[in-house]
Amino acid sequence: MFAKTLGAGIVGLNGVLLTIEVDIANGLPGMDIVGLPDAAVRESKERVKAAIRNAGFDFPYQRITVNLAPADLKKDGSGLDLPIAIGILTASGQLGKADLSQVVLVGELSLDAKVRGIAGVLPMTVMCRQEGIGKIIMPVENLAEGNAVDEVQIAAVDSLQLTVGILQGISSGLDNPEARVLASGIKPLDDFKDVQGQFAAKRALEIAAAGGHNIMMTGPPGAGKTMLARRIPSILPPMTREEAVEVSKIYSVAGLLGPLNGLMKERPFRSPHHTVSAAAMAGGGRFARPGEVTLAHHGVLFLDELPEFSRSVLEVLRQPIEDGQVTVARVSSSYTYPSRFMLVISKNPCPCGYFGDSLQQCTCSEMEIRRYLRKISGPLLDRIDLHINVPRLKYEEMVSNRHTESSEEISGRVGQARIRQALRLVGTGIFCNAQMNHRQIKEKCEILTDAQLLLQSAFEKMKLNARSYDRIIKVSQTIADLDGQKKISFSHMAEAIQLRIAIFENGK
Amino acid sequence: MNGVEKGRRGEDFAAAFLFAQGYRILDRNWRIKSGEIDIIAEKSGVLVFCEVKSRSNLRCGSGAEAVNFRKQRQIINTAMRYLQKYRLNNHSCRFDVIEIFDNPTQEPQINHIVSAFDL
Repeated sequence: MFAKTLGAGIVGLNGVLLTIEVDIANGLPGMDIVGLPDAAVRESKERVKAAIRNAGFDFPYQRITVNLAPADLKKDGSGLDLPIAIGILTASGQLGKADLSQVVLVGELSLDAKVRGIAGVLPMTVMCRQEGIGKIIMPVENLAEGNAVDEVQIAAVDSLQLTVGILQGISSGLDNPEARVLASGIKPLDDFKDVQGQFAAKRALEIAAAGGHNIMMTGPPGAGKTMLARRIPSILPPMTREEAVEVSKIYSVAGLLGPLNGLMKERPFRSPHHTVSAAAMAGGGRFARPGEVTLAHHGVLFLDELPEFSRSVLEVLRQPIEDGQVTVARVSSSYTYPSRFMLVISKNPCPCGYFGDSLQQCTCSEMEIRRYLRKISGPLLDRIDLHINVPRLKYEEMVSNRHTESSEEISGRVGQARIRQALRLVGTGIFCNAQMNHRQIKEKCEILTDAQLLLQSAFEKMKLNARSYDRIIKVSQTIADLDGQKKISFSHMAEAIQLRIAIFENGK
Repeated sequence: MNGVEKGRRGEDFAAAFLFAQGYRILDRNWRIKSGEIDIIAEKSGVLVFCEVKSRSNLRCGSGAEAVNFRKQRQIINTAMRYLQKYRLNNHSCRFDVIEIFDNPTQEPQINHIVSAFDL
């Protein structure tokens, strides 16, 4: 007796349709799973066996062969338990006449026949829509993710018995009133109004947030670099639905989407510790899981104390910063993950941290400082648009009651600037100035003559390269957007160049 | 009574027990070079290869415990030869373990583990 069910797997960030064929024949009893299963799939044998018995069905004492097609694709994860169990029940005639050709089953089984949530349900549901399969049965834990996709009928289950009931047309899927497509936004606790002083830094962060530019903050310990960086999410505009789906797919595959969250609402803010490995940063493992650069997609990647990171980790960042994607090659295949993030870096000017400080003496030798700064290569430095100094706060600044802007006020301006960008970039598939390529800059950015002249003299004096040229224009465009101007004027250009100049002061 | 006799007595109990349950006993102590199957029985079209383990005390662990992976392999291999010999390869079959606790002071207790192991 033979049965066929549909399941789903993940390759990179996309779902793939799998066909599970089950054959039950006479002969010595036993169960074989073929079709390149990994350990988690091969072990599903034991879970399926116990679950079928504990659900009150009979596990056939016969020769069971399970084939996972396409046979040349490696299958991983535990989401195939449910289709295998249903396949066995159908092949052994315990399910009656149920049409299994138009329904995808995903879910992990526990020994007592309960269905557990799995990673990657969102891309799997998207795949169902693309493949034209109208129905998916999924664990109730993942219902919110599934609900984010239209045009696919979803039945949520919590047990094998309920799955059988749905397939026989007796029961209907569960509903989870707490499952929301959009997670209710938790207002970030950190607010810019808590930061006294540092007006120059705040202005630069506002520009960075408005255009999605990379920014580096240099300053002595305790000046507030980390404090400022942690407040960036509070001024970033909310994600568009397109962005939210992309980010949520990544988090779904990585298994980092909470049980009740459908789509991510907040932009991700990733701050990996400086002991992070190159594989964890770029993505790695045998099936190349997404790394930090991908988890920070459409959000912020914050590297605190940059020179403490290992050099290889920093060099890994080059491709993702420039191309907005990262390609991880493994023996099995190579995966390309998106990685458009805003890079935020903090560092001290020297190992002791007080070089150039107004009060404290720096105790480092010239040699030490040079070695410290050499950790950050020129090409990496070149990819950072805004360089700012975050100096020590004076006592009067710290205790003053002078009004500081709240995150809400800043994010209002940032939002306006983003709307201007979106209107200008409509149809290009990108969302902010930092993502523009050279041709888009030429087409979309209008520079007034005096600004052009200023850029020319800066280009010659500062010995800029082509990349710096592009990046300065992008920043000046963002400043113009914040200013509400269509064209880039002299003052916009001047501010953009000034924000890049710091590279020459602390770069040597 | 020596060990062999004790074992034999246990197998007799087991055979009687299976017969009472409606099984047809096809063979007892079917033996080839690679091993032996204590009881081969049949009920409603299913061939049952039975391993019988007798214990009079639990000093050496329970009887079922003694059917470890190596013993299972041995029984499976022997069963395959049996199926080949009588051309029963397309027959459905299963492996049972019958545990007999045979203490002289009381009635023997029988524990029948249906489909105790598979390939």
